Amino acid sequence: MSERGQRILVVDDEPQILRALGTTLRGAGYTVDTAATAEAALAAAAAQPPAAVILDLVLPDGSGTDVCRELRTWTDAPVIVLSAVGEEHQKIEALDAGADDYVTKPFSVEELLARLRAVLRRLAPEAGPVLEVGNLRVDVAERLVTRNGERIKLTPHEFDLLRVLAQNRGKLLTHRTLLREVWGPAYGDEAHYLHVYVSHLRSKIERDPSKPQIVLTEPGAGYRLVDPEAS
Amino acid sequence: MLRRLALPLLGSVAAVAVASLLVYAFQPIAPTLSLGVVYVLAVLPIAVVWGARWSLPVAVASMLVFNWFFLPPVHTLTLRDSENWSALVAFSVTAVVVSELAARSRRRAADAEQRRREAALLAEIAGHLLGGGKLEDELVWIGGRAAEVLGVPRAEIELGRPHAQHGDAPTPLEVDGRAVGTIYTPVEANEHVAVRKRFLPALAALLAVAIDRRRLEREALEAETLRRSDLVKTALLRAVSHDLRSPLTSITTAIGALRNDELVFTAEDRRELLDTIAVDADRLARLVGDLLDLSRLEAGGAEPEPQVWQLDELVRDVVAELGASGRVELAGEHPLVNVDAVQIQRVLANLLENALRFSPAGSSVHVRITATRREAIVRVVDQGPGVEEAMLDRVFEPFYRGEQRSGAGLGLAIARGFAEANGGRVWAESRPGQGATFALALPVVEAPVELVS
Repeated sequence: MSERGQRILVVDDEPQILRALGTTLRGAGYTVDTAATAEAALAAAAAQPPAAVILDLVLPDGSGTDVCRELRTWTDAPVIVLSAVGEEHQKIEALDAGADDYVTKPFSVEELLARLRAVLRRLAPEAGPVLEVGNLRVDVAERLVTRNGERIKLTPHEFDLLRVLAQNRGKLLTHRTLLREVWGPAYGDEAHYLHVYVSHLRSKIERDPSKPQIVLTEPGAGYRLVDPEAS
Repeated sequence: MLRRLALPLLGSVAAVAVASLLVYAFQPIAPTLSLGVVYVLAVLPIAVVWGARWSLPVAVASMLVFNWFFLPPVHTLTLRDSENWSALVAFSVTAVVVSELAARSRRRAADAEQRRREAALLAEIAGHLLGGGKLEDELVWIGGRAAEVLGVPRAEIELGRPHAQHGDAPTPLEVDGRAVGTIYTPVEANEHVAVRKRFLPALAALLAVAIDRRRLEREALEAETLRRSDLVKTALLRAVSHDLRSPLTSITTAIGALRNDELVFTAEDRRELLDTIAVDADRLARLVGDLLDLSRLEAGGAEPEPQVWQLDELVRDVVAELGASGRVELAGEHPLVNVDAVQIQRVLANLLENALRFSPAGSSVHVRITATRREAIVRVVDQGPGVEEAMLDRVFEPFYRGEQRSGAGLGLAIARGFAEANGGRVWAESRPGQGATFALALPVVEAPVELVS
């Protein structure tokens, strides 16, 4: 269950959705603010900084992506975007602009609440020198990966890919974000690089690379690292 | 026949006679021998007008007459001097040469005239074919004109290859080996073969261009129609999916919340969630109904069942049904219309709902009914923000929503559909900032006889 009273800002231009979501989240123990426009959303967030934002992509006075970008200039509060089939492009834009995750309308309440709990759990990227993912141990300082004490040999790019994913455990990272983090700021559109490296990485760290448990594909969006034992 | 011989004969005799009279007249003042040249004046016109067939005899006759009447010894045909022989030769050569020249120039002139007619006709045909009329109709006309140029009593042009059923002789019209059509003409002895060889290929080329042009036009039209209907479908799908998804999302959210045992709700929260479900289920039902109406209208399936109604009563009913009596002011005439009441009330309801939605709270919507001899017009006037002129037609397109975001943008499209199905029309009049007027015009019916008398 949620930490009692965490403030969630819900932004959607459909009053009925706002109403249903607000009641639902209150029922889950959150404090809820609502906004129907981009302007109202930014004002509400500034007045009462939320613990997390649930943000519709299409707003009457702007896009959710713009709101997301604006929020990112002063808060790290996680953002979950509400997208719809047909808005894939805007969804990726929002994720690139700093959104943490998305759900597709119509979504199930359980799914939304689970995503919300997940993003609230990890408020900051993990920064320690050693990250543990299941039985994998990622030593960031030494650039070493071991499974049950046994060393796994990774190329420098494979290692960086794993490190970035592990440091943002649970978070959906877009192709663009991963390419920039691993290959550098000049990259961003070479998703095929990424697919090749992810498949190499999986063949080294997954028990069954054809059914990945650690590095999960979010179709059309990016990749997400999860803890195989936590889920 | 007689006439064809008589005229040149008379002309020839007259020419020789006139020349002889001239020689006779000039004899006192000029040497006789030199006057022989006067007979050239007789030979020349005959050669020009009737050719060598007549001018040669005239030359011989001139020589004989000159010899008999004027050359010594007079009244004998003795050619005493070699001058006489040379006169005869000169007359004959003149006759032949001039005849030939004249004949040639006559042929040239005729030929030029024929070519001019062909060129003029081809230009005329090109004009007709580019005019965009129906090709089959043009072919009938072209056939008639082609017959004149070809020198045959009739000519008929058909698209397609020659076939034996046609009574007249077929000639294929071809361009670079491509069969364009066939021209059927009766077999005529004195047909202009050279003309046929020159004219038909040009005609075929023109026809080929016309056929290609029509095909391209048709294809372009089809492609454009397809593209537009594709665009419409895409817009439609996008709008429908949005309009279906929003209520669906709030319904699934509310249901998911109510079914989740971990969530804690007060009685009021529960009622709120149930309300959400009810309201949005209604919205979905209405949207599906609207979509069905629209697709029925577009498929032409909304067959009206007309009856005679008094238009203002239809309006009054709708206003009452909308529960908007307090906000709608009705005034005007009481024309009779022959319409499907359910459909026209739907039109009126959609126009009124639209007007009410855009009117500032507290302002009223005015409905005015006017009638001419042919049309009854209902004007629904609101005091809302108005519609930009460029958008006046677009508001009736399905899924057009303008600035508003409520509603699926189907109401006015459906209104237009039902109005047109009942022989009427709807339109918008507005200036931004001055409110909008939506009008419905319906054909009026004469009052039934028992009411008039």
